[in-house]
Amino acid sequence: MEPIIKVEKLKKSYKKRKSKEIVKAVDDISFTVNKGEILGLLGPNGAGKTTTIKSICGLLKPDSGVITVNGINNQNKRLQALKHISAVLEGNRNLYWRLSVRENLEYFAGNRGQSRKDVAGKIDDLLVKFNLKEKENELVNRLSRGMQQKLAIAVAMLAESEVILLDEPTLGLDVETGYEVREMLREIVRDYNRTIIISSHDMDVIQDLCDRTVIINHGNIVTDDKVENLLRLFEVRAYSITLGGLLSEQQHQLLLQKFPQLEYTPDTVQSILEVDLTKSEEIYDLFDVLKLEHTPVEAIDRKTVNFEEIFMRIVKGEKQHALV
Amino acid sequence: MHWFNLLKANVRKEYIELKRYLPNTLAMLFTFYFVFLGMFLGIQVIGDPSSQDVNTQYAIVNYIFWFLAFTVINNIGWEVINEGMRGTLEQLSMSPMGIWKIMTTRLFATTVLNFIIVIILLFLSMITTGQWLNIDVLTILPILLLTLVSMFGIGLFIAGISIILKQVQAFLQILQFILMGLTFVPLSVAPFLAYFPFVKGVDLVRNVMINGVTLNEISMGDFVILGINAIVYFAVGLAIFLYCEKVAMRKGLLAHY
Repeated sequence: MEPIIKVEKLKKSYKKRKSKEIVKAVDDISFTVNKGEILGLLGPNGAGKTTTIKSICGLLKPDSGVITVNGINNQNKRLQALKHISAVLEGNRNLYWRLSVRENLEYFAGNRGQSRKDVAGKIDDLLVKFNLKEKENELVNRLSRGMQQKLAIAVAMLAESEVILLDEPTLGLDVETGYEVREMLREIVRDYNRTIIISSHDMDVIQDLCDRTVIINHGNIVTDDKVENLLRLFEVRAYSITLGGLLSEQQHQLLLQKFPQLEYTPDTVQSILEVDLTKSEEIYDLFDVLKLEHTPVEAIDRKTVNFEEIFMRIVKGEKQHALV
Repeated sequence: MHWFNLLKANVRKEYIELKRYLPNTLAMLFTFYFVFLGMFLGIQVIGDPSSQDVNTQYAIVNYIFWFLAFTVINNIGWEVINEGMRGTLEQLSMSPMGIWKIMTTRLFATTVLNFIIVIILLFLSMITTGQWLNIDVLTILPILLLTLVSMFGIGLFIAGISIILKQVQAFLQILQFILMGLTFVPLSVAPFLAYFPFVKGVDLVRNVMINGVTLNEISMGDFVILGINAIVYFAVGLAIFLYCEKVAMRKGLLAHY
């Protein structure tokens, strides 16, 4: 597949206002996004996600590195590159609250040089698609947060750019509205052939919608892989073992030496061992320790891990996952 | 055509907001009118009776131009600050048209709409004072257009610094008094002000409206100064705006929230 976005050796630092200390927001990161792909950009607060997104949008000038959008360098030919990109950066804050839903759509289209007449049909379609038709003449400040969020996404859709960047599309939404927006994003993914980059803290959004995820921490990429691969990788090696009694102190210490991440829940009737194996063969080492005291094993289950857990583990550095 | 669509979109937006907040617009109009009344009555009470009519006419023209400069130049600064805090400035910066074009069309849009208020204010002032000025549209129009170009240049300069300086509000408060100085002081008192933005234009319009000067009576030299003034200040304003945009992109200042 042909990459539509190429980020090569991107570096960006900021100087703190008071201490004048230099903070590396993004440190030499490279990745590509293929046409039609939905990429999730994950990372804890301050990891460098927004800096990366804004650099791709041409809103931030990197210290070094090259970003190309559809083959166009977004620094040398910024305005040309912007024809291929639209973004929702601050959700409902990206709108004019004193204008109505339709007026917002028309205004932003006008700012891209499109006439109201040319976009009238597209606006009608989007209003229907986003369930905003009944509210088209309502002022934005009277809309619910979810509707404002939908409108912000509709504005980005109206630009008809190949690439859409969504920075925290579900941030600050209640559970129900967050779900509604997620459903809408799923529809966009299904019905429109767009390349989408989603930066989010909401793991469900990433797990549900994204083909691939790039996890950034301290300005570096720590993982770049398909969501399903990450799930499989962690799922295969995470075990929950039910024991018919307690471990001896010696057994416990031996296991901790071998598996430092081991979690042991002692119980005289049924104790639980939770362990992540780096190699499948390590299960035999575990059994060797259990065999020392003939500890009965009642069940061995493969632990189900959710994406949030995977993210936390990667960010904490528990697993160094090879970059693709 | 893209330029035209951009212009239409911004004129429409400004018009909608002006209409939607009509009470605010009317309150602004009446506030300026009452301030003018105060000025007029001051001239009546403490002014020299022999030059009272001319002084009143001066006051009308100066005040109208100050209002125009104030709304055109100061407004764009406040708009940039508000848009930066709201988050829409980043959206505007993502337009493939370029943000300077959006800001220029905004300046044009606010000028066109505020011109309606200027005309109302002008006639209200003339009715109140009983002083009828010479409104020779054919003579005033070319001077005004060139004067507005230099005002737009200053507007772009203000928009630019409003992007990069977060505490620019205090400067905008002071700016209205600087503009007052530029529009109120006649060139005969301070000839060097001809090289300042829009002062030459205001002086020429004053001559047309008060002394009845016609287009033929204005020298080519005056138009050359006016033209150079317009081009230089617009070019400088635009260059500063583009520089500020680059600084903002380097430092990540396009959002003030």
